Amino acid sequence: MFVVRFLARRLFQGVIIVFLVSALIFTLLRVVPGDPVRLMAGGMAPEALIEQIATDMGLRDPIYVQFARYMSGVAQGDLGQSFVRPASGAALGGASFDDTTRSERAEVLTLIAETAPMTIQLALLAMIFALIIAIPIGIWAGLNPGRWPDRIALYLSSIFVSLPNFWLGIVLVLLLSVKLQLVPAIGYDGFAYTILPAFVLAIEIAPFIIRALSVSVASVMSQNFIAIAAVRGLTQTQIVFRHALKNSAVPLLNLLGVQFSMLLGGVLVIEFIFDYPGLGLLTINAVLQRDFPLIQGIAIVTAAAFVLINIFVDLIATVIDPRLDY
Amino acid sequence: MALGTKASQTVLSVRNLSVAAVDAAGARPILSDISFDIESRRVLGVIGESGSGKTVLARSIVSWLTAPLKVTAGEIMFHGRDIVTDQAYARTLAGREIAYIGGNPAGALDPTMTVGAQLVEKLSAVRPDISTRDARDKAIRLLEAVRIPSADRRFHEYPFQYSGGMMQRVMIVDALISDPALLIADNITQPLDVTIAAQILKLMRELNEEFSTAILFICSSLPVACDASDDVMVLHDGRVVEHQKPEALVAAPQHSYTKGLIAELPTLWQDGPASEPQSPTRDQQAIISVRSAAKAYYVHSRGQAGMSRVQAVRNVDFDVFPGDNFGIVGESGCGKSSLMRLLTGLERPDSGTILFKGENVGEASPRRLRELRRKFQLVLQDPYGSLPPQSSIGNILEEPLKIHRIGSRSERRDRARSVMAEVGLSDTLYEHLPTNLSAGQRQRLNVARAIILEPQLLIMDETLSALDQTEQGKLLTLFERLQAQHGFTYIFISHDLTMVRRVCSRIAVMYLGETVEVAPNDRLFFDPGHPYTRALLSAAPTLEARRYRPEECLLEGEPPSPIDLPPGCAFASRCPNVFDRCHRENPTLRARGNSALASCFLIDEHESGPIPQESHNA
Repeated sequence: MFVVRFLARRLFQGVIIVFLVSALIFTLLRVVPGDPVRLMAGGMAPEALIEQIATDMGLRDPIYVQFARYMSGVAQGDLGQSFVRPASGAALGGASFDDTTRSERAEVLTLIAETAPMTIQLALLAMIFALIIAIPIGIWAGLNPGRWPDRIALYLSSIFVSLPNFWLGIVLVLLLSVKLQLVPAIGYDGFAYTILPAFVLAIEIAPFIIRALSVSVASVMSQNFIAIAAVRGLTQTQIVFRHALKNSAVPLLNLLGVQFSMLLGGVLVIEFIFDYPGLGLLTINAVLQRDFPLIQGIAIVTAAAFVLINIFVDLIATVIDPRLDY
Repeated sequence: MALGTKASQTVLSVRNLSVAAVDAAGARPILSDISFDIESRRVLGVIGESGSGKTVLARSIVSWLTAPLKVTAGEIMFHGRDIVTDQAYARTLAGREIAYIGGNPAGALDPTMTVGAQLVEKLSAVRPDISTRDARDKAIRLLEAVRIPSADRRFHEYPFQYSGGMMQRVMIVDALISDPALLIADNITQPLDVTIAAQILKLMRELNEEFSTAILFICSSLPVACDASDDVMVLHDGRVVEHQKPEALVAAPQHSYTKGLIAELPTLWQDGPASEPQSPTRDQQAIISVRSAAKAYYVHSRGQAGMSRVQAVRNVDFDVFPGDNFGIVGESGCGKSSLMRLLTGLERPDSGTILFKGENVGEASPRRLRELRRKFQLVLQDPYGSLPPQSSIGNILEEPLKIHRIGSRSERRDRARSVMAEVGLSDTLYEHLPTNLSAGQRQRLNVARAIILEPQLLIMDETLSALDQTEQGKLLTLFERLQAQHGFTYIFISHDLTMVRRVCSRIAVMYLGETVEVAPNDRLFFDPGHPYTRALLSAAPTLEARRYRPEECLLEGEPPSPIDLPPGCAFASRCPNVFDRCHRENPTLRARGNSALASCFLIDEHESGPIPQESHNA
């Protein structure tokens, strides 16, 4: 019963958040200078044709009319069509206005559906790598606050956080792919292509997890019930693994939720460097081409993902700690 | 019987134990040369003021000394084997043969696991031979034994769903579940209300007889220790200064420290008020007049749609006259602090009126309220949280004057210095931060900050609760002097009956948001009109012969939640004299003659007969 009410309330809030994000993105995209129709039709198209296309597409209507039309489409699962990309997947831009091959424009939803799984795969693998690195170090530091494991964790985190990801990416490609030929790097042709970008991302987010975990483990370990537990006769293993870790999981979980959402929404640099065909690369191209429907679609999808991930995280948190009440 | 011979066995024998705080600077002794024995089925009480080493003693026995504390000499023999040198042996005893209960039940269990799961976990950890099923049955059986209502359901609840008193019962179960030979009870009743503490002590004695455990009962209150123990050991400055039977200790204390302690103990019935408090005449305008004040809060409670209504204050009625010392007593959750918020205008009542010299505080404009506040000031309970740590003492004192735009800079400075002198703070502290002040000095500073505005009414919300007996006495003397000089009226909000007995002329007793009794001091203590007052008096820690026997008056169970109050009298569920009518209608305050009021239907019956009532003033 609690779960049903919780989900109903949070999903309702989530819909409002996504709606507001859409409204904001929609308005901002339309007040920036530059006419997308000119880009679509090509530089050489006559003015009358451009006006005609624009009117046909409804781009000359007032913004709220355009927004209402767009949102009613979104409600039915239609995110519109890309301004620029052809459905055939052929090369973009540059073509003349009377090129007949580009009449069929790609569905935004299809474009996102093709690339999102790639990014989810990358994000999940990055998260797994990050946890493998961070959990032992974080717990070890948290159990020995102020002593050398804690300091090692701090130094290691500082080094990780100061490495620029584009530099680390390029160095690792040079070392592991070009010199040692261990893993493939550029583009995508199978799961192995995910490993290197995921590892670079993991190095980037591991310090945050180490820090959050060591702080929360240390604070839980100083609580009364942990001190009393040994006097009550529990073993050190029971105390650490059954009580301390469970209690320090909630702050970590919140951090992981945020980190994962960020991985989904914006691994722009890494996907660009590794030419990884995910949402990030799609976003970069969409922005460069002023592909408004695509930018809007990506924004709405990532906002929705953000909302869903946070609902999921909060639900897990209430399972771990029954005192929480979101 | 086999048990009978077992009963005389010595369980723990401490010989010449010394513990010191050892660091680079050297060793500072905490405990010196402590020796005692405990036999099974006996309770040894240990008393001493804070800093006397009681808790360190408890922790050395359960092998819970943390750096820099170290045993420097002596031995702790458990069944003839030393646990100081044999750490491995000590580890096998922890939680199994030597159980420990601390003074902070609220934080003693993992908040994310059910109480039952943790009891089972503990028993399985110390006795791996017991199956989970048996452990579970034993836990539920013991929860029933400590009178947790519907124990098999409560077994699956989380620690935050238990009240403080219930949680302490759970910790008793946790300690006894492994059938330990020795139980260390370190200040277990300290955070509890008197009626709940009395229940816990009674329970502990019963369990002691049933389970033949030896108990080391550590406590800071002499009456409680004498009540609970077979022998009492007095610790002072880390040494045992006295070790006697409780009766002998009270009758003929040997050491000067014990003598002083007993002489200083406030009494409820023997001596009466320190200086006969005179109720001022009631033929004048009351300084505070509360009429059926009520305040409810709305809280979101888990697993329930919408908000729940918590009736913090329901029917409060009383008058306080100028120059009076008025006491408000009651246990935690009775609405004392919510009432304080209403009296000071921090919150407005939902209904009813609060008149300050005829002016309605509840309806005053914010601007008028600020002006009125100069006339009534508040002194809070927590000496640490109530002072800003980064302001100098002078600034803290001058701030109220600045807020009310009184005086020039130098005038304010002079006023601050003069109130500092009045409350007994040295002039040299003016520039200092409050960081290094003791709790007593901090409360003096709080009083100084309140009286610098020359108020007429001072509301003391548990102001003395955080202080030890000696310091309390000094501050009470200060209050008396200030009253004589400035003609203050005091309202003391407190749970401490002995303090109220000493200083107040009229006392209101609160239970679940209602004033159930309002009476002059003597009348309240010698002829209480409400069964709850009698229960409070029977549970109050004192060495005197009790006028009200705990067996007759002590309450079972805990107060109902202010969220879903039963119909009728709120006290009915715990009242020893309950009858049909109590469950149907709620009694209101009714006169008992001589300005005494109580809300109990029994008064109608008693008072209907012509019983002449004598009170100390009319």
